[in-house]
Amino acid sequence: MNTGLTDLKALERDAFRRFYDDGLFDVFVGALLVTMGAIATVTDRYESESIVSLLAFGIGMALITPLLLWRRHLLRTRLGTFEPGPERRRKLRGTKLALLASVVMGVIALGVAVAAGNTEQSADVLGAIVPLLWFTNAVCVFGAMAYFLDVPRFYFHGVVMGFAMPLMIWPDLLWDRLVEPVIAFGVPGLIVAAVGICKLVEFLRTYPAPSSEGSLDG
Amino acid sequence: MGERDDAVARTTVDRLIHEPARLAIMTNLFVVENANARYLLQQTQLTWGNLGSHLNRLEEAGYVEVEKGYKGKKPETTIKLTEAGREALVAYRNQLIDALSPVTQDLDEGQ
Repeated sequence: MNTGLTDLKALERDAFRRFYDDGLFDVFVGALLVTMGAIATVTDRYESESIVSLLAFGIGMALITPLLLWRRHLLRTRLGTFEPGPERRRKLRGTKLALLASVVMGVIALGVAVAAGNTEQSADVLGAIVPLLWFTNAVCVFGAMAYFLDVPRFYFHGVVMGFAMPLMIWPDLLWDRLVEPVIAFGVPGLIVAAVGICKLVEFLRTYPAPSSEGSLDG
Repeated sequence: MGERDDAVARTTVDRLIHEPARLAIMTNLFVVENANARYLLQQTQLTWGNLGSHLNRLEEAGYVEVEKGYKGKKPETTIKLTEAGREALVAYRNQLIDALSPVTQDLDEGQ
């Protein structure tokens, strides 16, 4: 029996990390990226672009949000629940700050795009800058999550997801070759989701469903 | 105090915590604010009955607080290490280091 007395930090880290071993968060993020790509591809074909994209986003979220609810149930029944200690709470605050910084960065990028106007020259400049911002944002956010949550595979997810926007915009800008958004976002999304599915299978095997809730009274 | 008394004093550790299952419960609770029974079961790999009996011993010693309640309609047992439990685990760790230091020195010298 590992009592963890020799390394309490490692004990805490391993216990916390186990709550991300289910892979459903990865599947959710991957599915979200695929949905974004599919929406961008589909809405290009309609005139009322914003309404169609909102509708498609609503349908996409309705389909993939139950994953998070299932995740909650899965973790609670198989791993239990705990309230983290002060050090972990500090790290979780760091994750929230990283996500907030990502949103702020997104708003700034949108502001830059709007301010640049709709000229051919500004489109070229934005075409070069926006994919870089996207890549930096994805790597920073998932890097921060990997660091603060102690889940190293999120570094990989950050890099893979970071390639989505450059894959869509740069071939068009450099070689005049159009990569459909569903491919540019779908391929990284599927890679991330595939990692999640592998983790999920492993998780379900490692932590089988308890046959019944026991009692501490013996 | 003679040499033997010194050795006895050095090896006197809190026997309640010294038992591996209870030590695992204590260390796992040490690194969190609180946890439910399922969490401890998963972390320690004990059975429900074993976990219950060890928790009783720790609760009687004032090392843990066991709170039985409900989460929604389901019963939920939340376990927390008390301040006395935290201090006892730190003291146990120090006792163990003290007790083992001459042995590790001997081992180091023997190598």
